Amino acid sequence: MKKGTQNYINIHTESSPQKPFEMFKQIVKRTFKGEMFVGLWIVFREMIRFNIHTIQYPKEKLPLSPRYRAVHKLLRLIESGNERCIGCGLCEKICIANCIRMDTKIDENSRKVVTEYTINLGRCIYCGYCAEVCPELAIVHGDRYENVSEQRAHFVLKDDMLTPLDLLKQKEQKEYPGFGAISDEADKFIKKTPLAY
Amino acid sequence: MTTFYINGQKVTANKNDTILSVARREGFYIPTLCYLTKVKPISSCRLCVVEVEGQNGFILSCQTPPVEGINVITDSQKLFTHRQNIMKMYDVNHPLECGVCDKSGNCDLQNKTLDFEVSSQEFSAKEQKRVIENWGFIKYDESLCILCERCVHVCNEVVGDNALKIGVGGYKSRIVRVEDSSCSECGECMAVCPVGALTTKDFQYKTNAWELQKIPATCAHCSSGCQIFYEVKHVGSCEKSDKKVYRVTNDVDINSLCGAGRFAYDFNNSSVKDKDKFEKAIEAFHVADTIVFNSYITNEEALILQRLKEKFGYKLINSSALKYQKFLQEFSKSAGSMLYNGTIEDIKSADFAIVLGSKISSDNPIVKYALNTAQKNRRAEICYLHPIQDEDIKQIVTQHIKYEVGSEEGVVALLLQLFLNQENLEDSLKSYIDELDIGYLSAESNIGEEELSKLKAKSIRKQNFVLVIGEDLITHKRAENIAKLIGLFQKYTQFKVIIIPTQTNTLGVSLICDLDEKKGNYSIGYNVKGNFTLSCFDGDLSMPSLNQQEGTFTTIDKRVVPTNVAISYNGYCLNDIANAIGLNKKYTIDYTIELPHEKGFIKKSFDELSNFYNLNGDDNRGYALENKVVNSIVAVESVEDIGEFNGTVVYRCESVNQFNYNTFVSKNLANDSFLIGSNQFAIAAKIGDGDEVEFSIGENLIKKVFKIDKKLKGTIAMNPSFDRLLSDDWVSSSYRYQKVTIKRVEG
Ligand code: SF4
Ligand code: SF4
Ligand code: SF4
Ligand code: SF4
Ligand code: SF4
Repeated sequence: MKKGTQNYINIHTESSPQKPFEMFKQIVKRTFKGEMFVGLWIVFREMIRFNIHTIQYPKEKLPLSPRYRAVHKLLRLIESGNERCIGCGLCEKICIANCIRMDTKIDENSRKVVTEYTINLGRCIYCGYCAEVCPELAIVHGDRYENVSEQRAHFVLKDDMLTPLDLLKQKEQKEYPGFGAISDEADKFIKKTPLAY
Repeated sequence: MTTFYINGQKVTANKNDTILSVARREGFYIPTLCYLTKVKPISSCRLCVVEVEGQNGFILSCQTPPVEGINVITDSQKLFTHRQNIMKMYDVNHPLECGVCDKSGNCDLQNKTLDFEVSSQEFSAKEQKRVIENWGFIKYDESLCILCERCVHVCNEVVGDNALKIGVGGYKSRIVRVEDSSCSECGECMAVCPVGALTTKDFQYKTNAWELQKIPATCAHCSSGCQIFYEVKHVGSCEKSDKKVYRVTNDVDINSLCGAGRFAYDFNNSSVKDKDKFEKAIEAFHVADTIVFNSYITNEEALILQRLKEKFGYKLINSSALKYQKFLQEFSKSAGSMLYNGTIEDIKSADFAIVLGSKISSDNPIVKYALNTAQKNRRAEICYLHPIQDEDIKQIVTQHIKYEVGSEEGVVALLLQLFLNQENLEDSLKSYIDELDIGYLSAESNIGEEELSKLKAKSIRKQNFVLVIGEDLITHKRAENIAKLIGLFQKYTQFKVIIIPTQTNTLGVSLICDLDEKKGNYSIGYNVKGNFTLSCFDGDLSMPSLNQQEGTFTTIDKRVVPTNVAISYNGYCLNDIANAIGLNKKYTIDYTIELPHEKGFIKKSFDELSNFYNLNGDDNRGYALENKVVNSIVAVESVEDIGEFNGTVVYRCESVNQFNYNTFVSKNLANDSFLIGSNQFAIAAKIGDGDEVEFSIGENLIKKVFKIDKKLKGTIAMNPSFDRLLSDDWVSSSYRYQKVTIKRVEG
């Protein structure tokens, strides 16, 4: 094949009918061909058979790779149950779709607390930068990829993302192994600060 | 002039230049942490070291003047290692809390740590117990402090409150408050802190620095017209939410703010276009024959009012500006120039300064700062002539001369006699001076002749003289003659004169508007009570506040400086009304280019005005008014007999950091408006601490709570007026001292 040329294959081999009667004949032939029932039969057969490979969505879902990036989660510290997010604002800054917004304040204990945290999922491009930049492993990508709601405003508030406390108690909060997680050999790179006491 | 080389490039230095200042001017980077252009070199960080070719060792570029012909090397491997070592030391035990620290993103320690590639701590030191202290509105977090000493130096050299010092103790050193000092809560220390050690309660943990949008503007509270940035961001996390001002910052290397400018930024108004009210306003303008306003207004809006007057014959009433205007006119007649000739820079570089008739600590903080800088850095004599001794500036003033209330005219005459060089005077003037009855004046004003000769003695061998004139003189009933006498100071003595404009844009209004004496029958009030009131607070039609407008102000420095919109405003503004009744300009700032040329304004459009300082402190804000020459006529009158001001006298003066209703509404400032007097005053008026009292000035009945200030002396009490909503015109223009009868309100 010469460089720069295309190799076309004609897949439609029959010539198209020209006369009205020929056209009519083609339509009739295609409409009543028995092959349609072959297809329908296969569908019906698979419907009533057990042990098939089709995933029964939405009852069943395909397992996802840990690197899959869907709707975010805000995690808590396992022991204390406190929110991991310290309100450093790096995710807000790095977000290239500019869809993260947060509000912080000082609390009674003189700590910085995050009062509001929203991600406009209508705008988020699921790039994973926020999860990667987060110094606290607080914001991560989850695996919830269905976004259905009556209003865009519901996408997505802090409470929707934050691990509920009861789930945390049941040890249901999973550490995130995907994008932005610390590497397996992270320990090797830690240098200890000399301390004098 | 010295010629030398930086990294092989030929540069020249002027008198007082250091290697660092030349390097900055010529665009060479020398890292610094503690250096601040506006104070003397602190030299605590030692990052600014440089090498001189052919010589061993390093020198500190921030305090070393260049020597002819040397070649300064600003960067080398050796210097890098040296600076890196300094940063390593700074980082020892520094908390790893950039994640929450307010300074993160514009922290000098963070930046330089990264610049010099310090990524781990190699040394250790035993950590001390570090506490977080509350200094009123400001918080000090010792563990973040790097002891650069900037805060101490600005508080001493700029602000003049001397409220901070270093608690020396090696590694335990920290910044401590000077006991019994009067911190004016200006926030300067916090502003210059290169790290997050000093923060304010209103800002801490509210937002990250990089989320804020900086809007270059001019402070709207007083005539200093300081350069500021309104830093704004949306509220909360909703996408469509409104914006608010989170803080005010400034070019800390060069200029300084007072507490009002820094913290009273929350005075914006909000409104929507209300057609009905607008129609009513137009109707009101059709029936009105007078417009009453104050000088918290931009030059452009003042020009709109003037145009309305020219076109429809409205009377323009602004008594405070009118008094200033007349004062300035009489002054220029005898001085020979349209404006006074001094500037804030002149005060800073003065070595002999007289302040007359102004409670300077609250009247104009920037003048106070400048006087303090002169005193600290040039050992200037600061002579403060005022009937009330002011404790807030006792660190600055070197001689306080007290005079009797009402005797201002005589005081000016005495000073004139003292400083006028008799040699090259016209005969008429000479005989005027000769005929002054010094004995009588000195007795009536209660200024001893020995006080005067002491003052005179101090002026010997001084070179840079300034005379600062305050509102007491402008509102005096003999103001016109006083102004003439002051004019002579400018013409015949070495003194540079500054006449403090009383409100933010008093100078601008007095140049732009043709003001009237008497009101007509139906008045429109603009931020002042009228028959129909336009106001950013509580008027018949809502108007944008000064941080919601673009335009220009004319400052005490006789500069026209621009300000911008921090928070947008959705209602109507004065220009909309003007357009509806017959003027025709799309935007208010279309008037900037038309500001009266004959008064010294320059033909420049708003967009041509810049608003910044460069690193060496050169002022690139707007433009300076041309100071036109006028024919000088010397026609001073003899000093009138001095009336008596006995009994209980109240003095109209605001508390520190308060100026007007705009600052009063701020949630960040103390805004108690007490009548404050001495023990002696309380006895004379037969009232006690905490009593509710009432008294009347003119037709205004004033109700206040009385407080005793133990530091005060004498029988004059301070009567603040900043809390008066739509403060009527008369209050802000009457003579500042009023004899009153004080009654206790039985509660
Ligand atoms: S980067 Fe992490 S810790 Fe920082 S604000 Fe975002 S979620 Fe919170
Ligand atoms: S002061 Fe600077 S270096 Fe220290 S925690 Fe704050 S941002 Fe970080
Ligand atoms: S707020 Fe002003 S007066 Fe008070 S300590 Fe700081 S710099 Fe000094
Ligand atoms: S508080 Fe800030 S300005 Fe003051 S010495 Fe410490 S680091 Fe420097
Ligand atoms: S109130 Fe006056 S002195 Fe204070 S910051 Fe504003 S302009 Fe400057």
